[in-house]
Amino acid sequence: MTDQNTPLVPVIDDVDTGGFFAAAARGELAIRVCSECRADLHLPRENCPRCGAFSQEWRTVAGAGTLYSWTVVEHQVHPAYPVPYTVVLVELDDAKDVRLLGRLDGRPSLEIGQPMQAWFEQVGDATLPQWRPAAEPSEENV
Amino acid sequence: MVEPAWTPGACAIVGIGATDFSKASGRSPLTLAAQASRAALADAGIDPRSVDGIVRCDMDLVSAPALADSLGVPDLTYWGETGPGGSGPAAMVGQAVAAVTAGLATTVVVFRSLNGRSGNRYGLVGERGAIGGEGSYDEFFLPFGMQTPGQFFAVVARRYAHEHGLTLDELTHGLGSIALASRAHANANPAAQFFDRPMTRDDYLASRMLADPLRLFDFCLETDGAAAVVVTTTERARDLAGTAVPVLSVAQGTGRGVQPGQMFPALLRPSITSWPSAAAAPTVFGRAGISPADVDVAQMYDCFSITALMQLEDYGFVAPGQAAHLTEADLSVGGTLPVNTSGGHLSEGYIHGMNHVLEGVRQIRGTSTNQVEGAELSFVTSAPPPGASALVLGADR
Repeated sequence: MTDQNTPLVPVIDDVDTGGFFAAAARGELAIRVCSECRADLHLPRENCPRCGAFSQEWRTVAGAGTLYSWTVVEHQVHPAYPVPYTVVLVELDDAKDVRLLGRLDGRPSLEIGQPMQAWFEQVGDATLPQWRPAAEPSEENV
Repeated sequence: MVEPAWTPGACAIVGIGATDFSKASGRSPLTLAAQASRAALADAGIDPRSVDGIVRCDMDLVSAPALADSLGVPDLTYWGETGPGGSGPAAMVGQAVAAVTAGLATTVVVFRSLNGRSGNRYGLVGERGAIGGEGSYDEFFLPFGMQTPGQFFAVVARRYAHEHGLTLDELTHGLGSIALASRAHANANPAAQFFDRPMTRDDYLASRMLADPLRLFDFCLETDGAAAVVVTTTERARDLAGTAVPVLSVAQGTGRGVQPGQMFPALLRPSITSWPSAAAAPTVFGRAGISPADVDVAQMYDCFSITALMQLEDYGFVAPGQAAHLTEADLSVGGTLPVNTSGGHLSEGYIHGMNHVLEGVRQIRGTSTNQVEGAELSFVTSAPPPGASALVLGADR
């Protein structure tokens, strides 16, 4: 039985999505791409809606994105995720329309459109690409 | 491309029934389903043993054969289901209409039953080992703290405000208008869970933030209960005791790029501020031969206030970005578009969209506790985000 206070660990060996977590374990951000028409396929899958091809290719993208939206979670749900915390939805600069989630502690001051940067968090056997604001303000320590 | 043929009003809803709505029914989903179905059949004036078809929601714990057995049906010869989840109810009625018009059934019960509060509650993250895989795509959401529908819709709501240049106060005004209109309607509906709970705008604003920018009263009521309707041909319905309410139109839609999985992947769609409801809109109004302006009263699926607000735009009742400026008076009986006149999910109860179908029928029959005078066109929607479905109900005249 899983300890209720342990953060949720993702399945990292799924046939369609495992490559994302395998890349994260190497410190890389990767998304599925169609080998035929080069369309980005996120959420990861083999069949390309644009050209119909089946492929299993991943491409590495930069860990840079733009804040698309967020919520501050104030109502406690899972004991391993103490409130308040913030869930951010980030659009990749390298792959428009590809969005990923990240979690920040507390209620950081945020603005839609601000630059975000990826970092990698180890949770059990899994590596999670997380996001935080790029270029922290220099007056942070004032 | 061959266009599907649709005959408005060929079938009708001839009976409606519901259980009480509560936090702890003390009954099984099967018992609740049987109670609601028997009530609907009694309303129609149909012997339960003559039911030959049942349509269920894919998330229901009650199977069609199990309900048929409870109803004493000697041989169930048609059954079907739709969803996903709350996208179902209007489409479930559509599936009953399809079965009847195709000659696969004559008398179809459409039901939804759940112990949504005392049984399996949504949004609880259990002890279940590694998360996701197998096409759920939950591995991209739950481990990152995105764990409940309310958190999902909060991200949507903030983006909605941003794209339309609204301040969060302006967004909150619109969300509050929906919550307040629904509550006022519930206060006149003795069957509503919030019948005796009046609410002012100050009360709404003072309710605690659960997932910023959504407050407690932007969330629906987790509910135990069931609701059912009976569908048959309009011609046959005229000979029955129940007042027939013809189905003038029914439509389903997904739109492009819906993403696999259930709800959370919708955050990765090309747009998160317009739903599959926008895709269903031209179909549902086109099949009825009407425009949104012709609608007298609407039951908008409202798992959250923002869900209903965005659909008002998707279905063309107001222009994109304008729904937040509506007042509770606009959305109440006597206003420009009365919505959720039973109290909806926010204040009557959450029967996953099925109670909206019942209230849509009452408005045509003239039996709502918040009756829109002379209502002739009644509109009902079933949830985005996974897909959307909608109904236009009219009078048999």
